[in-house]
Amino acid sequence: MRKLQTLVAAAVAVILLAGCGGGAASPAASGDASTAPPAGSGETLVVYTNSNGEGRGEWLTAKAAEAGFKIEVVGAGGADATNKLIAEKNNPIADVAFGLNNMYFAQIKAEGALEPYDPAWAGEVDTALGDSGDGKAYWPLVKQAILLGYNSDKITADAAPQDWTDLWTKEEFKDRYERVTGLGTATAQLVFAGILTRYKDESGDLGVSDEGWKQVEQYFQNGSPAVAKTDLFARIAAGEVDLGQMPSSIIAEREKSFKVNVETVAPSVGVPLAVEQVALVKGTDKKEQAQKFIDWFGSADVQGAFAQQFNSMPVNKTAATKANPEVVEFFADVKQQDIDWDFVQENMGAWVEKIELEYMT
Amino acid sequence: MIRLDNIEVSFGDFTAIPHLDLHVKPGEFFTLLGPSGCGKTTALRTLAGFIEPSRGAVHVDGKNVTRLPSDKRQVGMVFQNYALFPSMSVWENIAFGLRVRKEKSAESDRLVRDIARRVELSDEQLHKNVAELSGGQQQRVAVARALVLRPKILLLDEPLSNLDAKLRHQLRQQLKDLQSEFGITTVYVTHDQDEALAMSDRVAVFNKGVIEQVGTPQEIYDQAATEFVCNFIGDSSPLTSEFVAELNRLSGAGLSPGANSYLRVEKASLTPPLDGGRAVGLPGTVASRTYHGLHSRYVVRSHGTDVRLLVLEDGNVQPEVGAETTLYVQPGHVLQYHPGTGAALAKQDQAVALP
Amino acid sequence: MSGAAVRNGGSVRSMVRSPFVLMVGAVLTWFIAAFLVWPNLNVLIATFFPDGSFSGRAAEKLFSSQRAMKSLGNSFLLALALSITVNVVGIFIVLVTHYFKIRGSRILFLGYATTFIYGGIVLAAGYKFIYGDKGIVTSLLLTVFPGMDPAWFSGFFAVLVVMTFATTTNHMLFVGNALKGVDYQTIEAARNLGASTWTILRRVVLPMLKPTLFAVTILSFLTGLGALSAPQVLGGREFQTITPMILTFANSPTSRDLAALLAVILGVSTILMLAVMSRFEKRGTYYSLSKVSSALQKQQISSPVANAAVHTVAYLLFALYTLPVVLIVLYSFADGAAIQTGQISPGSLTLDNYVRVLTQESGLRPFVISVVYSALATVIAVGGLLLVARLLQKYRNWVASVFEYLLHIPWILPSALLALGLIISYDHPNPLVGGAVLTGTTVILLIAFVTVKIPFTLRMLKASFASVNSSMEEAAAIMGAKTLYVFRRILLPIVLPAAAAIAALNFNSMLDDYDTAIFLAHPLVQPLGLVIKANTDGAEGVEGVANTFVYTVLLMVITGLTMYLVYGRSSRRRAGRKNSAAGASPDPATSPALVAAGTEPAAPVR
Repeated sequence: MRKLQTLVAAAVAVILLAGCGGGAASPAASGDASTAPPAGSGETLVVYTNSNGEGRGEWLTAKAAEAGFKIEVVGAGGADATNKLIAEKNNPIADVAFGLNNMYFAQIKAEGALEPYDPAWAGEVDTALGDSGDGKAYWPLVKQAILLGYNSDKITADAAPQDWTDLWTKEEFKDRYERVTGLGTATAQLVFAGILTRYKDESGDLGVSDEGWKQVEQYFQNGSPAVAKTDLFARIAAGEVDLGQMPSSIIAEREKSFKVNVETVAPSVGVPLAVEQVALVKGTDKKEQAQKFIDWFGSADVQGAFAQQFNSMPVNKTAATKANPEVVEFFADVKQQDIDWDFVQENMGAWVEKIELEYMT
Repeated sequence: MIRLDNIEVSFGDFTAIPHLDLHVKPGEFFTLLGPSGCGKTTALRTLAGFIEPSRGAVHVDGKNVTRLPSDKRQVGMVFQNYALFPSMSVWENIAFGLRVRKEKSAESDRLVRDIARRVELSDEQLHKNVAELSGGQQQRVAVARALVLRPKILLLDEPLSNLDAKLRHQLRQQLKDLQSEFGITTVYVTHDQDEALAMSDRVAVFNKGVIEQVGTPQEIYDQAATEFVCNFIGDSSPLTSEFVAELNRLSGAGLSPGANSYLRVEKASLTPPLDGGRAVGLPGTVASRTYHGLHSRYVVRSHGTDVRLLVLEDGNVQPEVGAETTLYVQPGHVLQYHPGTGAALAKQDQAVALP
Repeated sequence: MSGAAVRNGGSVRSMVRSPFVLMVGAVLTWFIAAFLVWPNLNVLIATFFPDGSFSGRAAEKLFSSQRAMKSLGNSFLLALALSITVNVVGIFIVLVTHYFKIRGSRILFLGYATTFIYGGIVLAAGYKFIYGDKGIVTSLLLTVFPGMDPAWFSGFFAVLVVMTFATTTNHMLFVGNALKGVDYQTIEAARNLGASTWTILRRVVLPMLKPTLFAVTILSFLTGLGALSAPQVLGGREFQTITPMILTFANSPTSRDLAALLAVILGVSTILMLAVMSRFEKRGTYYSLSKVSSALQKQQISSPVANAAVHTVAYLLFALYTLPVVLIVLYSFADGAAIQTGQISPGSLTLDNYVRVLTQESGLRPFVISVVYSALATVIAVGGLLLVARLLQKYRNWVASVFEYLLHIPWILPSALLALGLIISYDHPNPLVGGAVLTGTTVILLIAFVTVKIPFTLRMLKASFASVNSSMEEAAAIMGAKTLYVFRRILLPIVLPAAAAIAALNFNSMLDDYDTAIFLAHPLVQPLGLVIKANTDGAEGVEGVANTFVYTVLLMVITGLTMYLVYGRSSRRRAGRKNSAAGASPDPATSPALVAAGTEPAAPVR
């Protein structure tokens, strides 16, 4: 009896919690959180992204509201967001997901959690940057370069490394660069994709030659491990390290926050380019609304404004004209590294595991 | 009033009570006495309905209650530690059973106050927390709580064992008074023979799950039915066969020298009985003497036996250690038990001392 | 029902005869099957039998990985070292606050008790702020010894130091109370026989605390084995442990078998330790032999030198304990950049962070969500288990034992794995939960929270029921009270203080949970742990880091408040009725239940 009462009370309380939780954020979303699949009582769209930091989420929510979309942005790291979308495929909460790169979206698509959709702006983007498979499910939004940055107050452009491999082969950079302590982030995985793909070898372990694995080993042996809770820019400001990996879009803002000057390296093979994508989640009951949102979000106007605000490089050709000229210039100059994404995606899980087990001392 | 027929209680492989028959009369103060672990509490709990016997029947007031839960047996119980509910006041403790019965609150209050007055608990005490009461008051609450439901039987499980000696004596009297005032059939469990003898109408002596003897306090003291009872109750000296043979020789009594024989300490004397009676004198040596104020305890060695005895310190000069003395014993007082079974031997016709 | 349930100490026969027991049993069976056995079985099968046949890949990979083997070794090394250091420091602070006459012991107590109100990553970070390479103390030391290594506070040594301080919570809680239960007469007797202060301590007092010390030692061992945040923050590259690895691999679908295998290794060690402990428990606890035990009086340390030394060490420890808390409070007023660079000036301290967190709905929301989740999970776990613990304590037969063992499953597996199991099992309609899909609902995280807290709650509650005198129940039964009535009116009021204490500990430990929430939280209803983690990762910008400190301070306030409500108040109430002669009411602070049963591997720094 008591047990039953407790359970009933708990169930009631959970529904209350869900109701008040959802309601506090946006009253129309209250139905979403209950135990039943989203009732669709409101028109609030739930948007998953790993690209909500530095005010992006708030900016998008406000702009969307102006355009008549009620959205709720849910932020999570690339790997976490991917796992979540896959875990929830039978009871999706998200209606739209954006910000994840091809690698992640390919994985999500393979699990059957995406709904193919051709957005209105499909013609304005280079489809080669998006879904390469049948029934295109994810579409490119923003280009992000994964860069090796250095403290330009300490290291002159001449003295700077020419490529990642210089970090561990040249004495002056040893222990002066930050190396990762985990491979959970998209940025870190792309750095290794960029290095390992150069050593592709059918007969090597996991498709990579011994020479390639030696590079990884060297990278870990000679770097200064990242410090939990401490941003790379903070460490640069404090003089602990001078170099490290960074996605292109955060550099300007972090330079200001930590009062440091950072320049980036342009290796001759090019830099790994991550292309952030947008996709419609399969099973959403607000499909029509979600499609309208994607059409709006990927449009030249919105992408242009987004680019102006956050120094990003839009894939949308019309939007690119509105982007920060410096950024456009940078991406015009930057050479994209030729990476075999199928090869990378197929092996990334095993690579991460091998690196975690054998090299990350 | 209470009949236990052919009861067997076992816990798993262990048989606590192999076979038990017991009969308690209405209004009686009946005591289960025995050393710890003898099965007396098990018997009480079987009677209360906390333990289900594996065999046999329990009758209360002519009704078979063997399969009835404890609350349907009309028994009240006072526990060893009183088991008062610490989360409730005195009043709530006493009224607990009434509230379970869904008695009207006015009626409950009347009954609680009535019983409280009879056990001499004041109104002020009724509203105290039980933890604030003294040991004696707690006992009265426990009794009141058991009696307010007007049970046919009151069960008391060593209610005095946790108290210090003085309080124990005082509460012993209080309990006995309460019992006689209410006239309720009472079964009392104790390991204290003094308590049992002083309070009971009848006593059952337990040993290893078996009743050794049932009788009035005087019967179990004077005519201990078994060697165990003889040893457990009172104080006595074991006699050697040489001593018994000498006693037979002097008195012509037909005591069996091969039996285990005992003599109560108060039954031996250093002075001849006033009536001359049937006592015979045996020579002995004083081996030790302990002074107790009211009396002294002597050990007198005679015919291989250390006979212990009490001498009243009435101002007369008493023999010192080492002194030769004469021990006076009535052969009729010697308790004899079969060395194999421990059962009392039937008393022979007791001859008078030879002239 | 009432009578039958009480008779003959609970055979299986008497158990199935009670409809009430059958009903609770049915609900319990369903819960265990649906949320403890099935999900975990699913994970293990999916990882070790990926194609229906056993795969040794995980073992092969792990045992050939130097890093994994070294981490595993480190985990055990930490566990062993911690068992020793925690006892040394823990016994010292307990003696200083409860046993010896020390000036200002009340203040010292408050200082040592700061670990009650914060833990995990926040605690580790707090220590790093002080002793890390940019820390205040390090800067000071550098001015004195310019040649020293600024990164002196890292690796095994730093992890051990931080975890030692964090884990003495258990000593404060359990050993402190066990010490209060020592009969002072035994100490007086020993002194009368000529024993010195030291001899009395070593030969009389400490042996009486042995069972409790043993229990907390095992707790320390398990805490060390499962250490997560301290090695992450302070271990550096030369001292890594196994739990961070488990989390990493659990997050990657292709490496989950490694996570599962590592978890199984930890689980087996945990089982072994628990088995050792229950053996020890069976050997019995020392209860006061005398009926009139007298309260402990504080001992004066007779040697002036020793006295001065003990005072010095006590206040040194006090400083070590309180400094991080003070700094966390201080940092909560500083701006993000100041926090990141570790440089604080009086001018950079403002109320801005608090204004931002408390006025913005997005700042306060995760806080409210965590409080509601923790409260609900606590109420369900404690409320539901009150009945279960009661029945398990009453019926001692093989059926009850099986149930009890099954309920301990969450102790054996790390919470990340439990969460994964729930996802794998309930991301599609499942008849076990009426055909519902649980992923993507708010319920699934609640289930995980409740599940994770079951073993600790059960153990504690069972022990507190065991400490209730059984004749109390019989007294009620003989007056006609039914099982439920006895439970509600007699047992519940008696165990309620203990239950409240357990609830408070549960509530506090779930407030900043991350491991389970990361897998299971509803994206619109995200608890605080996720937000804190996001902030510390820097994904939310530098402002987020400042928010974390505000959250931490607010968490400290809340946990401090719950601890006060449960412990502070009960100790005052206890003082009011010292002469209690009736029934042993298990007061949370003195209850042997909480003392003997104290066994939570999910301790502060996990």
